[in-house]
Amino acid sequence: MWIKLGSCALVAAAVLAGADIHGTIIIDRKLSRHNVTASAGMYQRGVAVELGADGEADPLEFERSHVAVYLEGGPKSPVTESAKASIEQKDRRFVPDLVVIPAGSAVSFPNFDPIFHNVFSLSKAKSFDLGNYREGQSRLVTFPVPGLVAVYCHLHSNMAASIVVAPSRWAVRVDKDGVFSLKDVPAGTYTVVAWHKTAGTFRKTVTIGEKQDATVSFTLPYAEPSDASHVTHR
Amino acid sequence: MRFATRTFLSSFIPFAVLLAVSFWAIRASVMNTVRDGLRASVRDNEVALTRERARNENRNRKLLEGIGENPSLKAGLQLLAAEGGATGQARDTVQDQLSEICDSLSFDFMMVSGERGEPLAAVVRYAGGFAPVNLTRLHPPEQGFFSADGRLYEVTSVPIREADTQVATLTVGGRFDISQFGVPAVLLHNNAVIAAQMRDLAPAQIERSLAACSAAADCELRIQDQQYLSLPLGRPSGKGDDGYALRSLQNVDAASAPLQTVLRKLFLVAGFTALAAMLGISALSSRTIARPLVDVVAHLRLSAATGELPEFPESHGGAQEIRDLTQGFNNAAKAVRESRERLTRAYVQFVGSLAQALDARDAYTAGHSRRVSEYSCAIAQAMNLTEDDREVIRVGALLHDLGKIGISDLVLQKPGRLTPEETELIQQHPVIGKRILENVQGLEAYLGIVELHHENLNGTGYPHGLKGEETPLYARVVKVADAYDAMTSDRPYRRGKSHAEAIAVLRSVSGSEMDPLVVEAFVLLGDQRKQQAAFAGTPSLQSLSEAVQSDIDRTGPALIAPWEVAGQVNSREREAS
Repeated sequence: MWIKLGSCALVAAAVLAGADIHGTIIIDRKLSRHNVTASAGMYQRGVAVELGADGEADPLEFERSHVAVYLEGGPKSPVTESAKASIEQKDRRFVPDLVVIPAGSAVSFPNFDPIFHNVFSLSKAKSFDLGNYREGQSRLVTFPVPGLVAVYCHLHSNMAASIVVAPSRWAVRVDKDGVFSLKDVPAGTYTVVAWHKTAGTFRKTVTIGEKQDATVSFTLPYAEPSDASHVTHR
Repeated sequence: MRFATRTFLSSFIPFAVLLAVSFWAIRASVMNTVRDGLRASVRDNEVALTRERARNENRNRKLLEGIGENPSLKAGLQLLAAEGGATGQARDTVQDQLSEICDSLSFDFMMVSGERGEPLAAVVRYAGGFAPVNLTRLHPPEQGFFSADGRLYEVTSVPIREADTQVATLTVGGRFDISQFGVPAVLLHNNAVIAAQMRDLAPAQIERSLAACSAAADCELRIQDQQYLSLPLGRPSGKGDDGYALRSLQNVDAASAPLQTVLRKLFLVAGFTALAAMLGISALSSRTIARPLVDVVAHLRLSAATGELPEFPESHGGAQEIRDLTQGFNNAAKAVRESRERLTRAYVQFVGSLAQALDARDAYTAGHSRRVSEYSCAIAQAMNLTEDDREVIRVGALLHDLGKIGISDLVLQKPGRLTPEETELIQQHPVIGKRILENVQGLEAYLGIVELHHENLNGTGYPHGLKGEETPLYARVVKVADAYDAMTSDRPYRRGKSHAEAIAVLRSVSGSEMDPLVVEAFVLLGDQRKQQAAFAGTPSLQSLSEAVQSDIDRTGPALIAPWEVAGQVNSREREAS
């Protein structure tokens, strides 16, 4: 699918570069229901707290910063710069728990916990099992195929991370204010994809001219907030 | 002891004792019933508790089996196996996992042990977190109790399987809280108290008392004089005997104490009410029973005080016995009275005989004493003297000349004038009479009459020459009667005076020799006699009437009788005139 889309966009892949795509992600309600464990010293964690229970973390900020945006249909450009992405294992969590990379990038998985971790994925885009490794050790995984990769730990079932392997190099993670920008996009028509683990995938077509920035905004999810509780509290 | 008190006590005490005993028996029986009921309910409770505990254990076991299937934990075990032994970070990893599970499931202790039962990793909760356990020191059982760092844990184990093969054992437990049971419980290890809910009992006491109980049986025991019931609360240890025993220890007495208090209060109130009622009834009945008798006794006391013989009304008292008693008293009193009267009669008869004997010495003086007595009585009656006074006068008058027994007949019956010696002899008769009578008991009252009936008001009488009131009234009365009879009687040497003459003579000496009041009464008597036809009603007055009648008959020849030997009174009278 990614390959097909990529070939469709090949013609439009502009010769000229230079325009940016700016956008905003609007999320007005909580989407995730994560139970995170507050970071504490080894063996000294308290009881699990629900996200948003403490006033410091804004749940909507959390949601916005967990959106990946990337372009589809642009000119296929090989990934030149090698991946510098890294997912650490720290306090029995993956940090960060969302990484957006262009296809072909590699991600390192260093263990900073004083205990073993066993990182693995069974995703179609990339399936791997890094085995048990102790503190200070690291493993490197390359993701040649675009797609979504869900990463887990065998030893800690509540550890999870997502890797979005984008088909193009225009792939970013939205900041906590919901603002993103894709820089130096050649003129042409693209599909802007916004992905949120819980809300799903959203697409918008955008045409970019010479030196003409475009603006794309997403409201996640599509539907207006319903009164129905089973929807609201999904 | 008084009769009423005795009656009261003999009716009250048996009842009180009966009441106390029956109340005590009822209370004991009620208490026993209550205690039995309580014991049964405690037993039921604890059976239910044991069953509930077993059910809970079952449920826990299923939960634990779920935990045993935890893939993360299995991965951790694989890691341990791969790392070749329970050391370093691999063990830390597993311990971390255990902590996490404990944390989310609120366990206090978790341990995994290998295929051969060797402990691989264990964590225990302490304030605010978890800590790894030193496995060389700790050997918890697969199921049951163990204590670590002064804390007591109750644990159970589930297998961790990998493809139907048991690869490890997961031992999970929580802090054991003896107060989790609804009933007071005690946990023993090798008969030593490890945990007990009873703060008021010393462990040593519990141990001593429970030592006699068999491990799996109900047991009743006494501690500090209190009845306890102890039942085994399930078997905490499934495999083998680890020496632990969990028992309930319920104070049956304390549990039934509120009811006991109520019962005691109830019985106290009822008991005292009944006692008070019985007290009242006993007092009332004893009074009712004793009253007639008390009345009889009071009557007797009164009689004793007054000296009178008791006499009870015929209808006295309701009870037959009391009636019989009073009747008996009455009969006895009547007999005494009769005998006393007989005695008096006999004595009077004796006196009368004496007087008759005296009178019989001389035909002329025959009947003198009787007549004097009768006249005196009449006077006494006319003077409104009392019955007793009249009786004294009557008898005294009969005896007044008794002393003449000691005077020779020659002197007494001498016709003609007496010599001074003879007169002196005659004048001794009052003293002689007194001397005779004063030795006879019961005649003291008459001595005055006998001794002093010849005293004159002006002191010219004999034997003492007393004046006026010094002579008792009795003697003064008898003197008048004596003088009158002497004057009106015939003598061998003269005829007696007529009534009118005699009265005239009496009047002439009234005030000097005779008591004017007595004379007046006597004169009045004669006047009345003349006016009234029924005057002769009483015997004494009949004599008087006879005397008066004969006086009327002899009015003519009365003057013929010479006065000279009419007696000492007459001679004196003459001398005076």
